[in-house]
Amino acid sequence: MATTFTLRNMGVAASSRAAQATTEGIFVRWLLITIAVLFLGVFLFMPLAVVFASAFAKGVSVYLAALREPDALAAIRLTLLAAGIAVPLNLVFGIAAAWAIGKFDFVGKSFLITLIDLPFSVSPVVSGLVYVLIFGLQGLLGPWLATHDLKIIFAVPGIVLATTFVTFPFVARELIPLIQAQGNEEEEAALTLGASGWQTFFRVTLPNIKWGLLYGVILCNARAMGEFGAVSVVSGHIRGRTNTMPLHIEILYNEYQFAPAFAVASLLALLALVTLFVKSFVEWKSKQQPDAIEWMRTNEPMAAPTSVTAGAKVA
Amino acid sequence: MSIEAITITKRFGQFTALDNVDLNIPSGELVALLGPSGSGKTTLLRIIAGLEFADSGSVRFDGKDFSDRTARERRVGFVFQHYALFRHMTVFENIAFGLKVRPRDTRPSRAQIQAKVQELLKLIQLETLAHRYPSQLSGGQRQRVALARALAVEPSVLLLDEPFGALDAKVRLELRRWLRQLHDEIHITSVFVTHDQEEALEVADRVVVMNNGRIEQVGPPEEVYNHPATPFVYNFLGNVNLFHGRIDEGKAYIHERETGHVVYVRPHLLEIDRVPNGGSHFRARVKHINSAGPLVKVEAIAEWGDPVHIEMSQDRFQNLQLAKDESVFVIPKDLKIFAGDETSKPQ
Repeated sequence: MATTFTLRNMGVAASSRAAQATTEGIFVRWLLITIAVLFLGVFLFMPLAVVFASAFAKGVSVYLAALREPDALAAIRLTLLAAGIAVPLNLVFGIAAAWAIGKFDFVGKSFLITLIDLPFSVSPVVSGLVYVLIFGLQGLLGPWLATHDLKIIFAVPGIVLATTFVTFPFVARELIPLIQAQGNEEEEAALTLGASGWQTFFRVTLPNIKWGLLYGVILCNARAMGEFGAVSVVSGHIRGRTNTMPLHIEILYNEYQFAPAFAVASLLALLALVTLFVKSFVEWKSKQQPDAIEWMRTNEPMAAPTSVTAGAKVA
Repeated sequence: MSIEAITITKRFGQFTALDNVDLNIPSGELVALLGPSGSGKTTLLRIIAGLEFADSGSVRFDGKDFSDRTARERRVGFVFQHYALFRHMTVFENIAFGLKVRPRDTRPSRAQIQAKVQELLKLIQLETLAHRYPSQLSGGQRQRVALARALAVEPSVLLLDEPFGALDAKVRLELRRWLRQLHDEIHITSVFVTHDQEEALEVADRVVVMNNGRIEQVGPPEEVYNHPATPFVYNFLGNVNLFHGRIDEGKAYIHERETGHVVYVRPHLLEIDRVPNGGSHFRARVKHINSAGPLVKVEAIAEWGDPVHIEMSQDRFQNLQLAKDESVFVIPKDLKIFAGDETSKPQ
């Protein structure tokens, strides 16, 4: 017992000495901290506070009325619908793409990775315009769609399409490094033990990637609900029909209805806060799993460098 | 169940991993695939398991062609180099996995699975750790769990890829004796891959020495060690001194370079003496002595300037009272002569 005690004390002494060796003078420390706090305050906390303050500026009744208004409710419903379709689609696509990229070598693999990243690199407005050019009245498929009485642009399908496109990379991007780091061995083991492909996926692959997957889904959902640019182009801004929450907020704001605009905006801000909270929870939980990160660190020397980065990304 | 690999060829891009390999493993044997890295031994094992498919050639189990069957259909137990335990499952769940994923009509009941897993836990002496996760086990324990998991499905063949490669020396030794013992008990046809010649010679019934995608020699440990078929086998199985020389009327003249023959002598087959005993010998100067361990290892410089390694017993060393920088005579007790370069066949 005595030995462990001294050892522990030595550890503390050593680490505090190490900290001293790399630390800065008191003035520099305070300067850096002040800059960081000021920056965070001005660019993050103040806007957030302004959103809620403005939302409640004319009282709770105005706030509630703004949310209960039929156009606002329609916007909320449409946002939920768009996210409700886009997120599951991208979930399935993301897993499939990450699986293909992480587990197999094929011609055009790096091209596929670039393609997945495309929605990140293209301006959302351009993404929206692309859909207008394809499905719009003057677009490539426009006349055909018109004769079959199908409406995509300035209608709900267009909004869902644009949302799906913009949120395309989130899940796949999150999973690719994770699946690559984990390698094939566990799946091969499952196969030699007689598991079918689906059994291997649901019992071995999925449990191993679940936290990364959840993380990707959370980010994907946040973006799906908050997307403005691409959706704005394809929506047509028809009140009560093709307005999502961000579009509804913009219209209210342009009509100088500040309190209602901020009331709806506060919902999105709340979503952001909930997302952050869930994200932190997922990170904490994935660290709790003894198997998630520690396993890679202790077990496979070969996979260690990549898996640490994957772990750090989730962490 | 017997395993036959018939004219297996496998290429990865430009690299030929296996070149027309034929191998026959009789039922119930414990066979080692031994070779340096890149010799194709793991590829051969994975082709037998159905985790990899040959470009040409076939794999037969008990005479039946299994070449096109998947790993799932082959019913082989495979133990991976890094264990590949399911990290989100406990030891118990890991071992039970192969039984739980069976189709409903052949799946054992819960109680049967429970009993089977308990039996295997007892076999690997880890009954108390059934509810631990793999990350909470030591390397040796993980290896044993991996073995139990493979045995749970009652495979007809057990394949192990570098089973002790990632363990420290002591655990390695224990575990390989344990594997030998286990095999003596359950007699399942087993093939293991290793690059450690000592491991192969100690554990296996037969050793398959591989190099550059080809099989160099197949035989019992004594045979491949004492009667190596090729210079590679001689070189790979144990330490060796290599001399160039020529053969003239049954006599080997070493130290003359590039004369068409290569002479191999194991360090323990060289004797040191202060006087030449009438037979063949050469002079050398002692450069370094390492007397730690059961054998004393002496490094000397031969009269033509090359280093020579000699091993002798502690007794002999005591009698001789050898000192550094001393001039001595080295007497080869046995040597092996191969014609030409190192890759050619023996004469």
